[in-house]
Amino acid sequence: MDQKILKKDQIGKFYNEFAGEYDFYAPINKKGSIVFEKIENPEDIVLDYLNSKVPPKSVLFPQEEVLFEYSLDEKDVEITDRQNLEQKILIFGVRPCDAYSFELMANFFSFHGNWEDEIYLKKKENSTIIGMGCNTPRSTCFCTSVGGNPFKKEDMDIFLTDLGDKYLVEAISDKGKEIVKKLSWLSDASKDDLKKAEDLAKKAEEMIVTKIDVDTIVKNLDTCFEHPVWDEISESCIGCGSCAYLCPTCTCFDVIDETDQYNNRGRRIRIWDTCQSCLYTMETSGHNPRNTKIQRCRNRIMHKFSYYPTNYDLLGCVGCGRCVSVCPANNDLRVILKKIQNIEKMESEKINA
Amino acid sequence: MGIEQDNKEIISSIRENAKNLLSENQVDVVIGYSEGTVPLSSTPIIIRRVEDIEKLTWNNLCYMNLARYLAPLMPQLCDSEGKSLRIGIVAKGCVGRAINLLAVEKQVDLDKIKMIGFNCNGIVNRSKIALEIGEKEILEVNISGNEIIVKGRDWEKRFPYDQYINELCKVCQVKSPSSTEANCVGECQELETINDEFSDITEFETKSAGEKWEYFKEILQVCTLCYSCRQACPVCYCNLCFVDQNKPVWFGKTTEYQDIFTFHLVRAQHLAGRCVACGACSSVCPVGIDLNFITRKLEKIVKERYNYTSGLNAEKVPPMMDFKMEDAQEFMLEED
Amino acid sequence: MPNPYIPYLTRVKSIVSENKANDIKTIELEFKNEENYKEFGYIPGQFAEISLIGKGECPIGIASSPTEEGTIKFTIKKMGTVTSGFHNCEVGDIVGVRGPCGNGWPVEEMKGKNIVVIGGGFAFSTLRSLVIYLLDEKHRKDYGKITVIYGNRDPGEVLYTDILDEWKKRDDIKVVLTIDREAEGWTEEVGFVAPIVKKVAPSSDNAVAVICGPPIMIKTSIAVMEELNWKDEQILNSLEMRMKCGIGKCGRCNIGNRFVCVDGPVFSLAELKKMPNEY
Repeated sequence: MDQKILKKDQIGKFYNEFAGEYDFYAPINKKGSIVFEKIENPEDIVLDYLNSKVPPKSVLFPQEEVLFEYSLDEKDVEITDRQNLEQKILIFGVRPCDAYSFELMANFFSFHGNWEDEIYLKKKENSTIIGMGCNTPRSTCFCTSVGGNPFKKEDMDIFLTDLGDKYLVEAISDKGKEIVKKLSWLSDASKDDLKKAEDLAKKAEEMIVTKIDVDTIVKNLDTCFEHPVWDEISESCIGCGSCAYLCPTCTCFDVIDETDQYNNRGRRIRIWDTCQSCLYTMETSGHNPRNTKIQRCRNRIMHKFSYYPTNYDLLGCVGCGRCVSVCPANNDLRVILKKIQNIEKMESEKINA
Repeated sequence: MGIEQDNKEIISSIRENAKNLLSENQVDVVIGYSEGTVPLSSTPIIIRRVEDIEKLTWNNLCYMNLARYLAPLMPQLCDSEGKSLRIGIVAKGCVGRAINLLAVEKQVDLDKIKMIGFNCNGIVNRSKIALEIGEKEILEVNISGNEIIVKGRDWEKRFPYDQYINELCKVCQVKSPSSTEANCVGECQELETINDEFSDITEFETKSAGEKWEYFKEILQVCTLCYSCRQACPVCYCNLCFVDQNKPVWFGKTTEYQDIFTFHLVRAQHLAGRCVACGACSSVCPVGIDLNFITRKLEKIVKERYNYTSGLNAEKVPPMMDFKMEDAQEFMLEED
Repeated sequence: MPNPYIPYLTRVKSIVSENKANDIKTIELEFKNEENYKEFGYIPGQFAEISLIGKGECPIGIASSPTEEGTIKFTIKKMGTVTSGFHNCEVGDIVGVRGPCGNGWPVEEMKGKNIVVIGGGFAFSTLRSLVIYLLDEKHRKDYGKITVIYGNRDPGEVLYTDILDEWKKRDDIKVVLTIDREAEGWTEEVGFVAPIVKKVAPSSDNAVAVICGPPIMIKTSIAVMEELNWKDEQILNSLEMRMKCGIGKCGRCNIGNRFVCVDGPVFSLAELKKMPNEY
């Protein structure tokens, strides 16, 4: 049977089963923000949380990541490839929206055939995702409008449901089934447990109040590139990077050489970047194809809701609502999308008026 | 009379003044605040038609400094030739200070700006409340009497208003714009000088250099370098921030604490004697860092040495942008 | 799958200053490991991410033709940190090369057609690659008439003068050079590129035009081509955008849903007209 029970006081034991073999990542409370970090002490793990402030993309696509290292001497250069990509990774306590984001990122990083991003893909391949359903989605969540669900299990290896004093453990993938099989000390789940989990899933889905008509939005974006609605959408934006940095599907990065001049060595790294920054597209000549905030805000929305569907037949948004709650200017994505959804209505109102 | 009543009066005065400015064709647009779509927030808004005046609001979550939208000027505030429209701007005291400073630094044309002044009654410390609520979703925030009432799905918590406003607001002495009637409608005052109070940092000042270092390291460890603080700052208007310069590269942009430190400390230095004490940087930080705390000590030094408070008028140049031969310099070596 | 961010290592074999202002140099690179040269197989119009390890990386069009076997060449204008670094390079220095990136000129589809090459200023490098490729004895028979129109501000800015001289001696290629204003000793055309195109009036019959140069030159030349009855599908452009990775990952070179680094840099005018005007 693939359904087991993990008691909440067994988290430490669970951690110890994996800690040696895997890098074990889980949510912790860092200065009031929930973030995924490598766990050294299982008591740091926080599982009673809504969703993390920084998405777990930071585990497989950290804000700063070495591409390779180098050493330099007078007339030669030696390059050392990354060594640690084979390390097994376990990401524990991931919400369904974020688990899906790993699939989107893997799709993106493997897309251009001969140029696969080995660094991300290897790490993804060596990762085991143990996720958890959302008993209480936030009011800003809208995963059900973008093909998700607070109890979506597909993108996980093992799926947990918080039943109060214990977790229902369900093995989803073959990898997950292997692992659950090995954890012989897990007790079997009862019919009541399964029923309770089912009820929680149903209740959670009902709690998601934001509904967005994504099909209409994708369709409207096809024709509204020059529409004045973008002036309005970008009005309050202050051009920071919080929406992009805290977005589980944003993948853009900058590449920098960091050289230790005194020791003649260094590393080429990538760091998160954002299309909301003016410098992102600024060319050395000074020419900037996206020189205004209007263009930059438009690019972000177009990327997720038009370019993504066109290129990959997928949406570039998982409906986690992070950008909604962190935007300093409260430039709410839900409001933006509603405006695009209602473009035709706006037009006809204008004509009538 | 509670905060609620205050706010009602502020809202009606803002709307009245905005309406007059627009209908009398004194301005083309009004920048103000509208209700936020998530609790503990508000949305800056540009009003162009008298019919939309009702969208303007004031509550104690209007933490953005609207002067931020004036420099560099965005296309939405320009005419078809790229020239500035005539702008009405809802101005609490610190917005007024920012506009004055931007005028001193030749970033805005005061002739094109009409402040809609009022007596600000404080900004709620949203990070502090969010931190205390922790991992529960806040669904509603109301202010009633002298309390901030925060509600979630099946819980409610009350916070005394006086204690849960920004530390800066507690010591603020420039509640309405320091301006003349020529540049301002509504409440304003002409302030020559004020006795800034820095009681919020006196305790911190007693710490040793090592303790201060540890403190900054501690609070900055969650910084994601999203630059919200810089972007929200009304006086951080540089075309190319020092941290973005790449010809040559001056500073690293990694998440190593040295790089994060460099950014915040150098930014604070650039604000010495220029910070208008609006607290927007702290309010917008997505990970709740009280960034304004870093600039406070520098403000205090500038005040003590030059008796200068930024943004009280549109003429006096900040001390760090000016020099006299007899300026004292001993602090360059002695200050720790 | 290997780590796509690791460059091949090459050594600078030669450096040639290309213009009077001495801010454009052609750097010839030799792979440290010969095997890498074979792996690098490229076509004209592609670019590479070249780097000075420790200083940084930038995308540069490949100026050599695959028919010039053994080494690869890049013509680099001194602009930013990395390009200035290249200008300080000496023979023997190590240069990292990743690529080839991008689609390149469609040399297969261009077979059997007359080719018109229109270039302006410093952007001539991948056109040099293309013309050398077309003129190579292995390929020349596959293509029809070849016309090159190449404009510059003044005589001192004309790149690749030795090669241009060689081409001018041949009878299977027409070379028209022009400069913006009269200059002492200049015996060829005078005037902007667009009017010269009008004067030369290349026929659009069974032909393909490739255009590379500053935006204003491209715009005015295209207007002339349209007058001469050229269709959008016959006109090819190579675009430039800020890039970091060159392999469709870092995000910044998108124009609408296309990435210049992998879907381009070569686009037909017909394709460009369908893309948003964000380049």
